[in-house]
This record gives sequence, C-alpha cells and structure tokens, in this order.
Amino acid sequence: MNEIQSSSPLGDVMDFCSKYAAYMFGCGVHTSRVVRCTERIACSQHVEVDISYTLQHFVMTMRDPSDGSAMTRVCTAEKLPISFLRNSDLSALSWQAVDDKLGLDELWTRFNRLTAKPRINQHVVLALVGVANACFCRLFGGDATAMLVVFVATLIGFGLRQQMQKRGVNHYIVFVVSAYVASMCASVSLLLDCTAEIAIATSPLFLIPGVPLINSCVDVLDGHVLVGFSRLISTMLLIMCIAIGLSFTLLLIKGSLL
Amino acid sequence: MTDILVDMLLDGLFAAAAAIGFGAISDPGVKTFPYIALLAAVGHALRFALINYAGVDIVTGSLAASVSMGMLSMPMGRACHTPMTCLLIPALLPMIPGMYAYRSVFALIMLVQNIGSDMQLLNYLEQFTVNSAVTVMVIGVLAGGSILPVLLFKKQAFSMTRYRHK
Repeated sequence: MNEIQSSSPLGDVMDFCSKYAAYMFGCGVHTSRVVRCTERIACSQHVEVDISYTLQHFVMTMRDPSDGSAMTRVCTAEKLPISFLRNSDLSALSWQAVDDKLGLDELWTRFNRLTAKPRINQHVVLALVGVANACFCRLFGGDATAMLVVFVATLIGFGLRQQMQKRGVNHYIVFVVSAYVASMCASVSLLLDCTAEIAIATSPLFLIPGVPLINSCVDVLDGHVLVGFSRLISTMLLIMCIAIGLSFTLLLIKGSLL
Repeated sequence: MTDILVDMLLDGLFAAAAAIGFGAISDPGVKTFPYIALLAAVGHALRFALINYAGVDIVTGSLAASVSMGMLSMPMGRACHTPMTCLLIPALLPMIPGMYAYRSVFALIMLVQNIGSDMQLLNYLEQFTVNSAVTVMVIGVLAGGSILPVLLFKKQAFSMTRYRHK
C-alpha cells in the first residue's frame, strides 16, 4: 500500500487549520464553507480532519494516515467584524493550497497577508450607509424631505453604533441605543411636511443583521441544524433589540402618529 | 410602457445604491460592488414589476425575485471569484419588508396600550398578526429562495473562489 507521508508535523498543521477555521467562523462565514475549506487545506497537507462545532467553539480532530497518529483540539471562534472580503480571500486560499501544493510556511505567509488587508475606511462606510438608508426610504415611498431626514438620522445612529462598538459596549445595548437614537432623530420629520411614518420606519433598518440571518438559513437547510438555530436565535435577539429601540421612540411619539 | 420602464429603472437604481451602502458595513471587496449593485437592481425591479404590474402579492414576488437573484449570482460569483452569498446578502437587504416590520412593532405597542378596550385590542391584534406574518414570510422566502441555487448547485457554488479550474 502506498502511503503519502504528511509534509508537516501534525501539530503544525493543527495550528494552522485551527487558526484558519477560528478566523473564518469569526468573520461571518457559514458553517459548511468553513468545514469544506478547512478539510481542503488539511487534505493539501495529507492529513484528515473532522470538525464538530457549536456557535462559539469547535472541536477539531486530525489524523495522519501515514502513521495513524491523531490529535484533538478544542478551539474558540474569534470575535471579528463580518468581512466578505476575508471570506472570499480565505476560501480562495484553500483552493490555492490544493492547486499550487502550498507548504505550511507559505500558507501562514499568505494567511497573514490576507488577514492584514485594511478594511474600508469607517467614514466612507458611514456616508455610504447614510445614502443607502435614504434610498431605502425612497423604495418604501418616502419623499425627498423624508430621505434627507433618514440620511441625517442614519449618520447619527450608525456613527453612534461605530463609536460604541469601538469601545466594546455590549452588542445588544448597541442595537437598542442605535435604533432608539436613529428613530428619535427621524421623528423630527413629524414637524415637517413629509412622509414622516416612512422616515421613522426606515431609520433603524441599517441595523438589520442580514449576514447571520442568511447564514442561519444556509446552515439549517444544509443540515447543520444545531448551529443554524443557534445563529437564528442570536439573530432574533438582535432584531428584538431593534424593535425595543424603535418602541421607545414610538411610545414617546405615538400620539402624533395616530 | 415608457413610464413603467422608467419606474422600474428608478426602483432598480435606488435598490442598487441601498445594497452598496448596506453591503459596505460587511466589508466586501471593491471589485464586488458592481455585481452587488446589478444583482440588487435586477431583483428589486423584478419584484416591483411583479407587484405593481402583474398583480402578484409581496411574498410570491419576493420568492420569484430571490430565486432569480440566486441564479444570477452564480455567473457573477464565477466572474469575480467571490462566494455567491457574499454577493447575495447585500443585494437582498433592500428587499427587507421594513414597513411591515415597523407596523408590527407599532401595532404591538398599541395593543399593549389598549388592553382594557376590547374593540381596539382586537383591531391592533389583527394588524400585528397580519404585518408580522407578512414580515416573517417575506424574510423567509428571501433567504430560502436566494440560497436554493447554492444548495442545488453545491459543487459550482463551493468552487467560485477557485482560480484554476480542472
């Protein structure tokens, strides 16, 4: 029987794969992609891997078929901001590992280079989100004044969210406060001659957690039911936080809306 | 006919701008922005046309649009070597039924405030039920419809980021 000798010690492959999977889980990649990509990288190093996962942790077992040695490690998913760019780049890295037969040193070099790429400037993101929410208001039938109010309310609400996240404030509190402040700012539209209700309804929608929502559906439909439902529950909590923030505003201004 | 086309184009344009802005929060690569914008514009304009000119309800319209977006994201993902979900998620965000969600929250608040009044209570309960049901169904079909192609064409969907094809 021909056996392929693992090109690197099992522990070294485990170090890379566990870091890689933890990073991918952290930046908002759905479960089956993380598992496939990690398996692909392990396969490129001639080792086998099995991963068992929950929302925040995963257990990785690696085996070297050439000598039968095995190793198990419990890892924690990193807490990172969602990044489609890293999702895409790290998925591509797993294909490069197979197609270009990359060694571990080269994998680490490329991994470090890809994860060090700068994110989009936060001021640019703030402006883009403001414009996006104003356009969203228009899609719901809002007029030009309502769009302007939503733009300003979003700048304030999203700017506050960025500052609170930078200071490490609890995720749920960030959502409640941002939704409240954005909708409260948008309620200025009640004083103007415009589609005020649409402006207030649209103002907190920049908070909608689209990535975990879709990821949870992908996970559930793809057979990763437990982790899918875990994601869904945490997403529902965030949506409830938006509703709570909006409720505070509505409680204060409900007389003007009836 | 020209009016319909102009309305659809405007709808697509605003949806594209919304998708780019919401997408920017999740750090997509700059090269993916044109694809996200096109995907959002096509999906939203299709739903707009189905609802306003074909008399289709919002849930069926959202399902048709999301499946179309899912299918369209396959060649797009292949073209820019990006996972389909990275294009789909930002493009889907402008289709979230925000007004229905808002009316659900408002009806719930009014329901709690009118517990003593049976007539008002039932009225707000009905509003809450209808609006929240539409919100949940639309979000459900958006998510389910768009990822259908990912699940149907798994092999292609999981090799979008591969530069060398064998």
